[in-house]
Amino acid sequence: MSIALATSAAFLFTACGGSSDGAGANDEAGEPLIVYTNSDSEGRGEWLQAEAEAEGFDIEIVGAGGADATNKLIAERNNPIADVVFGLNNVYYEQLKSEDVLEPYTPAWSGEVDETLADPDDDKAYWPLVQQAIVLTYNEDAVSEAPEDWPDLWTDDRYSDRYERASSMAGATTQLVMAGILSRYQDENGDLGVSDEGWQQIEQYFQNGVPAEKDVDLFARFAEGDVDLGQMPSSSIPGREEAYDVTAGVVSPEVGVPYAVEQVAVVRGSDNQDTAKEFIDWFGSGDVQGRWAAEFDALPVNEVALEQAPPEVIEFNEQFTRQDIDYGFVQENLDSWVEKIELEYMP
Amino acid sequence: MRTRSASRMLRSPLVVVTLIILTWFSAAFLLWPNLNLLAETFFPGGEFTGRAVERLLSSDRAMRSLANSFLLAVVLSITVNVVGIFVVLVTQYFRIRGSRILWLGYATTFLFGGIVLAAGYKFIYGSDGIVTELIAPYFPGLDRDWFSGFFAVLFVMTLASTTNHLLFLGNAIRDVDFQTIEAARNMGASDWTILRRVVLPVLKPTLFAVTILSFLVGLGALSAPQVLGGEDFQTITPIILTFANSSSSRDIAALLALVLGAATIIMLAIMSRLERGGTYHTVARVAAPLQKQRISNPVVNVVVHVVAYVLFVIYISPLVLIFLYSFMDSASISAGVLSPDRFTLENYTRVLSQGSVLRPFIVSIVYSGLSAIITVGGLLFVTRIIQKYRTGLTTTFEYLLHIPWILPAAMIALGLVMTYDEPSPLLGGAVLSGTTVILLVAFVVVKIPFTLRMLKAAFSSVNESMEEAATIMGAGALYTFRRILLPAVLPTAAAIAALNFNSQLDDYDTAVFLAHPLYQPLGLQIKANTEGGADVNAVANTFVYTVLLMIVMGLTMYLVYGRGSRRGRKKRRSAVTAPTEPAPDAPVVPTNAGEAHPALGATSEVNPPPPVASGSTRQ
Repeated sequence: MSIALATSAAFLFTACGGSSDGAGANDEAGEPLIVYTNSDSEGRGEWLQAEAEAEGFDIEIVGAGGADATNKLIAERNNPIADVVFGLNNVYYEQLKSEDVLEPYTPAWSGEVDETLADPDDDKAYWPLVQQAIVLTYNEDAVSEAPEDWPDLWTDDRYSDRYERASSMAGATTQLVMAGILSRYQDENGDLGVSDEGWQQIEQYFQNGVPAEKDVDLFARFAEGDVDLGQMPSSSIPGREEAYDVTAGVVSPEVGVPYAVEQVAVVRGSDNQDTAKEFIDWFGSGDVQGRWAAEFDALPVNEVALEQAPPEVIEFNEQFTRQDIDYGFVQENLDSWVEKIELEYMP
Repeated sequence: MRTRSASRMLRSPLVVVTLIILTWFSAAFLLWPNLNLLAETFFPGGEFTGRAVERLLSSDRAMRSLANSFLLAVVLSITVNVVGIFVVLVTQYFRIRGSRILWLGYATTFLFGGIVLAAGYKFIYGSDGIVTELIAPYFPGLDRDWFSGFFAVLFVMTLASTTNHLLFLGNAIRDVDFQTIEAARNMGASDWTILRRVVLPVLKPTLFAVTILSFLVGLGALSAPQVLGGEDFQTITPIILTFANSSSSRDIAALLALVLGAATIIMLAIMSRLERGGTYHTVARVAAPLQKQRISNPVVNVVVHVVAYVLFVIYISPLVLIFLYSFMDSASISAGVLSPDRFTLENYTRVLSQGSVLRPFIVSIVYSGLSAIITVGGLLFVTRIIQKYRTGLTTTFEYLLHIPWILPAAMIALGLVMTYDEPSPLLGGAVLSGTTVILLVAFVVVKIPFTLRMLKAAFSSVNESMEEAATIMGAGALYTFRRILLPAVLPTAAAIAALNFNSQLDDYDTAVFLAHPLYQPLGLQIKANTEGGADVNAVANTFVYTVLLMIVMGLTMYLVYGRGSRRGRKKRRSAVTAPTEPAPDAPVVPTNAGEAHPALGATSEVNPPPPVASGSTRQ
């Protein structure tokens, strides 16, 4: 009987293998490389999967919002599932690094990118792939006079209840928008380093906007006439204009716009360290980044890739100034900000 | 039953091994994670802090969702009782035409609950739902979001929770003494008086239990508010989920879970106390079986018939629509078109042939199957010892094994996540988060109390002299267990395993906290498919999942109850009716209806007349 008992107890520990036998389709081909990213929508995931497969990489992409992916990686740090993480912006990578999630690695293409956009430490753990502006965009057919900056949305009645506001704080874009607003009101004596006025902006932002619907595209809502304005990463705009037949304008505030520099890194302690590095060498290379940029209107950091990027994308991005954001300050406070917003300002 | 001394108990190596494993399991998975949750909330880093409490009190949103949860709990206990009592009376007490068919309709929520039910209603009545699509042209001013918020959540959860009434109240009503009813009638009592003065008093204890269960289901609701509640009607558990994901805000999630846990414990304590002072078993052991009553007032009779059939349509319509639309192509589904010439099997082909689409289904089957086998297999030994040796030690274990009963699933899940995300000496330095095991552990843990109760009843029905005879003839402990005890309890054990399997097949509430990102069970996939912009195929896939789920569950039920109903009935009855008697040795579990604790997600009380009896306490 003790054998039976031992067996059932052993079940608990071997069930890991048990359930993967039942569910895994690719066990025989060795462990696939697990890639966490927030940049898998609009066909990016499928494209990458196919390209990687052609190159001989067996990858599995797990998509999640930027903050969600970061939280997942931190929660799993003692037993990492992911091998590679890409697409999050530098704020999250800083956070991941301080939580000891990343393995320092210098990819083969490190000479082709602007090092100042990478991990500032000597022991560089993350490297830039693409960058994009996080902008306020609007439907040109519906908005006769565009706002000049974010706060116009809640101070000017014309935009009240016409702009889409976040309904979840899990996305990287949303968090950067919040950071872009809050960091303007930096105040040592304020709550979490932000003055009361700053928090009032957030309160107003939530009170006057139309909540985003999960997985319903902003441009789809433009086309439906539900809303006329909203946040969007710059590289997503051209493709959507075409897909939804909407002409979009973008707001270029004087103070500038937050830029997301999307990075790539190896996850510490995963099983496929070598493949992960090979994958990064391949994925970040000028050729692949160039094709990625051409396919998804991204602005690559890699200089070789930049030559292949569509000229209109480069031109489009040149209209924005970079908002001067103290990223150290943001990174230090972002979690608490998000918590405060979730608790006090989200309806 | 004879009590044996502790020293005698410890003479058997089998018992010692079982107890060692049990001690480890209870410590590692029942006690420590929950205590750790408390510690991390109030004493992170060893010092007391009220941060979580302060943050929570300063949050309107959190306070509002707490209020909403209690509101839902209170209103739900009323609506479930109204609908539940009605369906039980209509199917069991009054003479209603076609009551068997009605019963089958009302019982559909056995197979169709939780996230599946919420998703089903959203696909049918939601803003892009089939019915909304169909009626929108006739009601120009229709708010397409009409089926959302408090009303929608209450509606769906009410239907889902009446399964408890069908099971327990349907069972209790058969205890009504028919002679008393006859006597009352002879003395000139009206239908209404008889119902109020004779029938309802007998049902009171059960009614009380199912009321508390409904209250708890409402309090811990997760999938229905998430899918249908919208921003205007948020409840606690979804907020717990939001904060549980962020490592820096977990203390807030933990605090909310503790509030939920405390409320649950208080309600169960009230239930237990009221039952202990019970004046129930006053009813005679039914001398004359209940005969169905005709409603004498013709107007009332017609009204009751009409209401019964309207309810019937409400119960079965999502199911029927989902079944029919699962054979339509995606374009027809989004347009709400139902026509024979659009008939297609392509949805089924897609789900069954595409690995990635079928995968969640298989993941769920593997998880539920393993969990059912481990729980029942392990507890066979444990229950045997608890039942055979009555010592302080075994009583303590029995209490410990009931812990999952008094805690909401969200709290159990959170306890596991927060405790085993770093190497723990309790697990020999292993880390559970980020493995497929952690969800399995939770699946096993939440099923323990129910399984234990049912197995205990099964063991106590085994004739003890058989065992003694075997021992006298020199059979060893293992041999006796294998040849005498096991065959006797095996049918019940198999039935319990099947019920556990069914109830966890569409689990969402536990998986959402613990699932491995690469092995996402069905519940999560269905939830993902309910979200706004999910593509049309996703909706069709969900319909197919729902049909497949019902086939698998129905098949399991049939294997357990249908097929074996002739030869196994006697055994089953004895196994299963035992818990309905007041059990002095199981103080935590107050009534038979206690089987349905929502944290467990499963209720099962097998009572032959209605052919099917299981399912989950769905929300």
